[in-house]
Amino acid sequence: MKVKVVTKILEANERIALENRKLFDKAGIFAVNLMSAPGAGKTSLLEKTLSANSDLRIGVIEGDIAGSDDSERIERLGAPVVQINTGGACHLDANMINEVLDDLPLDELDIVFIENVGNLVCPAEFKVGEDMKIMLLGVTEGHDKPLKYPLMFQESSALILNKIDLLPYTDVDIDKVKKDSLSLNPGLRIFEVSCRTGQGISEWVKWLETQARKI
Amino acid sequence: MHEASIALNLIEIVSEQCRKNGFNRIDSINVRIGRASGVRPDALIFAFEAIKNDSIAKDASLNIEQVPVSGLCKNCNNSFTVDEEYVLCCPVCKGGSFRITAGREMDIVDMDVS
Repeated sequence: MKVKVVTKILEANERIALENRKLFDKAGIFAVNLMSAPGAGKTSLLEKTLSANSDLRIGVIEGDIAGSDDSERIERLGAPVVQINTGGACHLDANMINEVLDDLPLDELDIVFIENVGNLVCPAEFKVGEDMKIMLLGVTEGHDKPLKYPLMFQESSALILNKIDLLPYTDVDIDKVKKDSLSLNPGLRIFEVSCRTGQGISEWVKWLETQARKI
Repeated sequence: MHEASIALNLIEIVSEQCRKNGFNRIDSINVRIGRASGVRPDALIFAFEAIKNDSIAKDASLNIEQVPVSGLCKNCNNSFTVDEEYVLCCPVCKGGSFRITAGREMDIVDMDVS
């Protein structure tokens, strides 16, 4: 006997993501799912953002396969932070976030950054309850990345090109990165920053403040 | 690795349907996977075969229909379908303003049960 099912396979995840989103909305929080390959500078960007001259009250959820190095870096800057260890899983899902939301003082925050597991593939497929997906690309990763990993570039609302200070020492064609990214996603907002020198950080933080105020 | 999570979700959904409706055995499950969904059919079948044994789907085969990426051009109004996993410009007028209309699916369509 044939039985109609007609269900999205990730329906359960999307249901929990919606719950998370409602909790963020209730607390007036702008929730960001921050994604990149390992070593692109997600935690460094958060450190720079936390140290910037801004009134934004920021909390962080750190996702890593193992270890607590990242959450210790955030903790040192005095921001509320929760570490999730996925124990091998290559991405965060909505349920993992749901389980730790109680550990953050949501009513006292304007923004929650959910720093996903370093990976250009799977994190783009799982909603966690975010208002916006933002991705980083270290310019040293190469100009072929947008067309090799199109989904993350398509899903993100902003692309942060980090390590821009290293550009003169590479053969990377930054115009190709921008052109291909915008072809995949015409509305994409692109920032050029260096978390090492601080270049471009104030522009990024100003934009972030505007986004958080919209919530 | 994400194909394993997807296979687990899939098995949970069909198991729930069987519990609710009193089915004891699934012979096959038909799903639609978009070319731009990021899911590889062979990896999904591998994951499904690896984890189905402890579930009501243990005798089931997984049939995957791949859905190509389609779009509608905002410049020339043509609808198009491509072989690639993404679209950079409208294949008809080469314009860069278009809406993707298919190719991101990850849906269970139906199943054969007894």
